[in-house]
Amino acid sequence: MEAIAVEHVTKRYDTVVAVSDLSLHIEKGAVFGLLGPNGAGKTTTLRMIMNILAPDEGTVQVFGQPASSRTQDLTGYLPEERGLYNRMKVREVLVFLAALKGLSEAEASVRVHEWLERLGLAAWSEKKINDLSKGMQQKAQFIAAVVHRPPLLILDEPFTGLDPVNATQIKDIMLDLREKGATIILSTHRMEQVEMMCDAICLINHGRSVLAGDLRAIKKSYGKNTVRIEYTGDDHFLDLPDLIEKLNHFGAMVEAKLRPNADPQEILKAAVERGVRLSRFELVEPPLHDIFIEKVSEAHA
Amino acid sequence: MRKIWLIVKREYLTRVRTKGFVLSTVGLPLFSVGIFALSVGLATHKADHPLKISILDNLGGLASQIASSLNEKLPDGRPRYEVVGSWDRPASEQVAYQDLTRQVRDGQLDAFLEVPKDILSGKKATLHSLNGSDYLADRSIAHAVNNAVIVRRLSDRGVHIDDVSELMNGVDLTLVKVTRSGESEENGQSELVQLSIVMILYITLLVYGVMTMRSVLEEKTSRIVEILASSVKPSYLLTGKILGVAGVALTQYLIWACTAGLISAYGAAISSAVLPGATPPKIHLPIAYLVYPLVFFLAGYFLYASIYAALGSMASSDEDLQQVQMPVTLILVACFIVFPVIQRSPNSPLAVALTLFPLSSPILMVMRITVQTPPFWQIALSLALCILATLGMIQLSARIYRVGILMYGKRPSLVELLRWLRYT
Repeated sequence: MEAIAVEHVTKRYDTVVAVSDLSLHIEKGAVFGLLGPNGAGKTTTLRMIMNILAPDEGTVQVFGQPASSRTQDLTGYLPEERGLYNRMKVREVLVFLAALKGLSEAEASVRVHEWLERLGLAAWSEKKINDLSKGMQQKAQFIAAVVHRPPLLILDEPFTGLDPVNATQIKDIMLDLREKGATIILSTHRMEQVEMMCDAICLINHGRSVLAGDLRAIKKSYGKNTVRIEYTGDDHFLDLPDLIEKLNHFGAMVEAKLRPNADPQEILKAAVERGVRLSRFELVEPPLHDIFIEKVSEAHA
Repeated sequence: MRKIWLIVKREYLTRVRTKGFVLSTVGLPLFSVGIFALSVGLATHKADHPLKISILDNLGGLASQIASSLNEKLPDGRPRYEVVGSWDRPASEQVAYQDLTRQVRDGQLDAFLEVPKDILSGKKATLHSLNGSDYLADRSIAHAVNNAVIVRRLSDRGVHIDDVSELMNGVDLTLVKVTRSGESEENGQSELVQLSIVMILYITLLVYGVMTMRSVLEEKTSRIVEILASSVKPSYLLTGKILGVAGVALTQYLIWACTAGLISAYGAAISSAVLPGATPPKIHLPIAYLVYPLVFFLAGYFLYASIYAALGSMASSDEDLQQVQMPVTLILVACFIVFPVIQRSPNSPLAVALTLFPLSSPILMVMRITVQTPPFWQIALSLALCILATLGMIQLSARIYRVGILMYGKRPSLVELLRWLRYT
């Protein structure tokens, strides 16, 4: 069964069309990446899935039911703009939010306590939100999204502001929840996170879907047209405009996008001729980052 | 419904627990009790010891008459004036005058009253004292002198002295207020009571309206509203918030009403415990003075709170808030300012119109009821209109609110606002 079915949805604000004839299908148990540049209509789309907004046209179904206040209890939401009641105690806020999602207050209390323990915030449960550090507030907010065990978890930039230790902890919890059957929608600009975690993606631009489907299939369709090279020595061997369409320097590494039908062996040959020492030479699918930029700038052109 | 209840509960508990609430709830009654005690104290303070005075009667025969008229008592029961060592037609006016002046200067006397020989033909009596101006003392002494002079004039014309005192028997003016249920004695406080009721209504409508507005903006600026909106319908959020703040207001009202009731019932006992022998001003609070303000407060609160909540949802910052709330706050202020219109002529067409119009009726109808209770149908109509307006306003507010809470940045123009109302 599909967790989410968005069919031909359009949403307008005044004269602006935020989402235009968008269709999305998300498999149950998948981690789904909703991508797009700023202002593409991602938040509007998420809000329609959560029944915060109603579409002007089209339908949104969540686990087979039309989005409604009933399906709201099935979703957990971590908005990009974080915020809790600053002057309330951590435990009180979380119990309140969990109860709003349909848990009894007794049950909410128990679960909140468990989660605070799990994320190392137990000692802070009677402190005011204001007294927590940014990172701790983030974790508290994450608890608010997952505490009622929603089968659908919507996370907007879940890792911003977290140090690597906390980010890993949150990532592990996400994967654990997926293991237990949750469907996760991840909205982020961090393409490496998408490549690491997502099964399927939809890239939207100007409110329209420009690329959608299984992430591996998408990447495969682009073919292995990129070479990753790590080397020491003169970099003039890469002056091969006939072979290389674009170069991306990452300090220690270079990514070279090949022109159609270019033979990567030619690059290897040039390197050897110039006496450059290679420590890596790998033919790969294009990174999602490049696909993103290509798709988005195509639309602008 | 359960979700509305959760919102009401959170709103109520977090507000009731704040220091501000405790301070204002306890502070206002303490303040009014303080004012009450102070006014009792001032009213009975007049002089804390009997005034020792002497009379220099150059005409003769008036001193005893004056002395007997000075029969006022202090709150503690002692006589207010002690007349000692009077001179009745002294041999030498000069000697008597100097002796009495010396006694006043030395503090043996508080004052002496000089009655000139030709007082009957219109010359004035003089009161000599160190501090010159004790208004109350001057007044009763003047009264006593007046009395004595009139008695003398009448008896000089052949009216018998006993008849004179009968003729002179005091007539006092008592103010009586005619009310529906009969007559009740007016003791100058009803104006004070009216003013306090209008003040309390005005202040609470403003404070709790603004509290609702701030609460909306707070959820918006802290961005928690997005999470709330993903859990609850915006109209539930709005309803819960307005009811929660209403609960806070009612709690405060209840505490105040109990305090007022206690003062009304035990005020006399309290003040006599504090100031033995004092006769405290009687405070009479008809039950209508408690019920009508409450009913109209609730109607007015729901009306203004729904307006204020919508305004709060339009704003993105405190500065926005200042600007969007201004017109509504001005209307409230205006209601408060025009209350003399109602007070002076409670049945004028303007007064009737103002007490029926929903935005002003919550304050002004209550004012009018305390001045002169209008026909019941007018009260009922006023309340009905207010409730109707509130129901309409809540619909409008909910439509603005559900769009406004998700909008950040620029305040909406009137045109945009009209578009918001049409959103699905």
